Amino acid sequence: MRGWALAVGAATALLAAPPRAAGAQALNAIVQRALDLENAGRWRDAIGAWRTVIASGETAQGVLGLERVFQQLGQDDSVLPPLDSALARAPKDRMLRGAQLRVLRSLGRETDARAAFAAWAALVPNDPVPYREYAGQLLTDGRIAAADTVLQEASRALGGTKTLVIEVAQLRAALGLWPQAAAAWRDALVAEQYMESSAIYSLTPAPADKRDSVRAILSAPPRRAPYVRTLGALELAWGAPRDGWRVLSTLTPADSAYGTWSDFADDAEHLGAWLPARDAMVAMYAQRPGAALAIRAANAALSGGDASSALDLLAKAAATLAVPAYRAQVLPLQVRALSALGRAAEVEALLAQHGAQLDAGTRHGYARLAAWAWIRAGQVEKARAALQGMSGDDEDEVSAWLALYVGDLVKARAGLKRPTEATAQVVTAIAFLSRTKADSARSAGAAFLALARGDTVDASRRFERAAADVPDAAPLLLALAARLHAARREDGAAIGLWQRIVGDYAAAPEAAEADLEWGRALRRRGDAGGAVERFEHLILTYPSSALVPQARRELDGLRTGAAL
Amino acid sequence: MTHARRGRSSNERPFGIRGLGRWATALALVAALAARAAAQHLLVPMDDQQQNHLKAYGLTFSVLKNGGKAEWFLNYRGGSFLLPDDPATRRKAALDGITTQPLDESAVLAIRREIAAGNMDAVTLEKAPRIAIYAPPKSPPWDDAVTLALRYAGIDYTQIWDDDVLKSDLSKFDWIHLFHEDFTGQLNKLYLGFRDTPWFVEERDRDLATAQRNNFPNIPALKKAVAWRLHDFVQKGGFVFAMCGATETLELAMAAQNVDIVGPFSDGTPMDPDADSKLDWNSTFAFRNVHLEMSAGVNAMSDIDGHQVNVPTRRQALGQFTLFNFSAKFDPVATMLVQDHRNVIPDYFGVTTSFNRSVLKPGVTILASEDGAPWVKYIHGDYGKGSWTYLGGHDPEDPQHNIGAAPTDLALHPNSPGYRLILNNVLFPAAKKKPLKT
Repeated sequence: MRGWALAVGAATALLAAPPRAAGAQALNAIVQRALDLENAGRWRDAIGAWRTVIASGETAQGVLGLERVFQQLGQDDSVLPPLDSALARAPKDRMLRGAQLRVLRSLGRETDARAAFAAWAALVPNDPVPYREYAGQLLTDGRIAAADTVLQEASRALGGTKTLVIEVAQLRAALGLWPQAAAAWRDALVAEQYMESSAIYSLTPAPADKRDSVRAILSAPPRRAPYVRTLGALELAWGAPRDGWRVLSTLTPADSAYGTWSDFADDAEHLGAWLPARDAMVAMYAQRPGAALAIRAANAALSGGDASSALDLLAKAAATLAVPAYRAQVLPLQVRALSALGRAAEVEALLAQHGAQLDAGTRHGYARLAAWAWIRAGQVEKARAALQGMSGDDEDEVSAWLALYVGDLVKARAGLKRPTEATAQVVTAIAFLSRTKADSARSAGAAFLALARGDTVDASRRFERAAADVPDAAPLLLALAARLHAARREDGAAIGLWQRIVGDYAAAPEAAEADLEWGRALRRRGDAGGAVERFEHLILTYPSSALVPQARRELDGLRTGAAL
Repeated sequence: MTHARRGRSSNERPFGIRGLGRWATALALVAALAARAAAQHLLVPMDDQQQNHLKAYGLTFSVLKNGGKAEWFLNYRGGSFLLPDDPATRRKAALDGITTQPLDESAVLAIRREIAAGNMDAVTLEKAPRIAIYAPPKSPPWDDAVTLALRYAGIDYTQIWDDDVLKSDLSKFDWIHLFHEDFTGQLNKLYLGFRDTPWFVEERDRDLATAQRNNFPNIPALKKAVAWRLHDFVQKGGFVFAMCGATETLELAMAAQNVDIVGPFSDGTPMDPDADSKLDWNSTFAFRNVHLEMSAGVNAMSDIDGHQVNVPTRRQALGQFTLFNFSAKFDPVATMLVQDHRNVIPDYFGVTTSFNRSVLKPGVTILASEDGAPWVKYIHGDYGKGSWTYLGGHDPEDPQHNIGAAPTDLALHPNSPGYRLILNNVLFPAAKKKPLKT
């Protein structure tokens, strides 16, 4: 008997199974049809389809669908009758309640929304969800004071806001209470680590003068990885990638550091923060060494101007790669790095070793880099020799630079007519060549060569001297010298040169720039009166200069004491 | 030049009798030209040709401050100014990027003819107004649109606070500006949302200390006394310009001299349940028959404000307001206050954004309102020997202006029509009173 019953039961189960599966399939098909109609913009048909979904028992999904469709039709209020019916059947349903609040708010029926919220909260007395939902929606609307009221009610009703830390954090950030917002996010991140991106988004707008308080709170003990990751990302977002890396570098393997560093490296590369990106990749390499990562780090180092560390990284990559892969991936960067460092002999050694296996175009490119390496080493003749056999054409750009360095301005002009790229160096050289009618200027050439060697002290001295030899380009050469002094924060020396430009070459195009920079240097030194005099002089003497708006802004800043 | 050379004979001596006569003529001509050059003017156009409307007010103010006179050409090219053409004025105009046009007497005469023929007038500005801004000592400049505008335009002012209002001689000022201070003493009811924030605590403690120092039992009593001093200032001939919440609360404080209208969080006692009926509107400037917000939990003061920005269920959306076009010759004061290069301006919120028409006293001049709305934006009137102007809203270039929002940088809004309304009020007391034409 019992066996028979079991057998019947099993048969019933077997028989019942196919219809249930079929029902689910049918329901899926109904939902899919409604979605398809909605996606096709067939709103009227979609309304019917979503009503069918509701009738089939998928109430919440159907109501949400209707909400979307009626919104598209500008008939938001039409969703309320089906929503009310659904709520009558399931008054505690979170999704339906949330939709009700959303719809009432979008209709501007604030009193009804408030009443709906109160009714929901009364139905589920110890549940934070109604408060979270309503406060969250109000915050999204920018209704900060109203959200604050809801959270205060939550505090009274629930005996605290521990279950609403995220909303509290968002509220404080919206109020501009940055330290309090950071503290609330700290609490929130303990329980909800996945909220890191929300915390970053919320705290990123903190103004510069409040960021230290955010830093202090996120760095305070006890140290936890989510705080560190949040602060690291914030530093990057605040334009301080170096600080961001300093924070993130303290993560340990236990903190899933590799993934965080990898994300940071990607973001830093994207922002052009090459050296912090390099540092992150070096740390990643220490955990999981690999040639590809070392090459990427070397590329970042080179882009950031640190050729030495690039060479170290490339050496690590080279040790693990076969010769063909080395030649394709490492050699180009190695040659660039050595050239940047002026290690010309090593570039030539590499060329001798691998040149036979390279195509002519690549060899030519490397020869140029070798020439540049010699230039950076101060050896113009060797640079010229490096180009021998590769190109005897005077029009060649490197040859033009070599001509400029020895003061042959005719050849330099001819070769720099169509430069391959418009770097600051190229623009400066072309500006000089077009300003003077002289055919030769050895002193100016030597100044450009010093600049190419990276010796800015010598370059600024030589540019200043060259001004006497090339009178028609004197203000430009003096301005170049002044820029180099200013870049090294030698304001005193720079001011002397700007003074000469403004005094002796008042009609020169560099005079307005000299006035502006002179004024800015005086402001940095605390000489507000002197700075005002310079800015006023610029505005009154060069009223059509493009620098006038900048001078006016500087003046306003000095008058009102605003930070610039 | 060619003609002159031809006219002189080769044997003519330069210093002969005839030559002397010619030199005398030439000298006379030079003298006449010099005199004409000295008599030239600078027109500061205030229409769309003006590059920096806001600093133009500062330029005019500086002319007055330095003892010069100016003219305000009402309704002529957006309310232009005519200034003496001197090197200092030209220099300041050039430095500030203000558009000016040199005019000789004949050009000025032509403008005067045009002004005489249309709804325009020329008002002489003869004295730089002495300006006071009622603001707490540590208030940052960007907290107050007027301070911001005056600083940007380069107009001098003195900052005063409760002690100064209560104890010093206010008659030394022509113009007192009030911002979003709550003269009911309820700190704008921000207690509801900000009671634990450090800045709120600091403000409350500061006001309590001032009250104790001046022998008042609480902040509402202190602020009522301050409001009454400001009332007397106007009655005796001063000019008060108020914006934002100061407009509404100044009126409430003046009307509530003998009744408790504040919640228990301000003075420890509940407000008088019959407060509405006990308010005395005889001594107020602009409003009457106002109903107070009786709930301490609702962030509104009364039904003066049409927008009620801080009460979610009552909040009204922002629209745009239109400046009225007055008769320049018959209503010069109202005309001065609405000089602008735009007559429709986007609205902006404030603790008090607008003023319901239903509570305006008869005789109040409506300077700007929103078409079809039950509220107005900008009003003016006389009281005693003085006058007052109320402008609703907080910051014309920051319509929402949430607490903690970044300060407005007026260098980015040099042509702001909303800020011009504020600066019209600054120069209006400089105008020389002239008898109305009848």
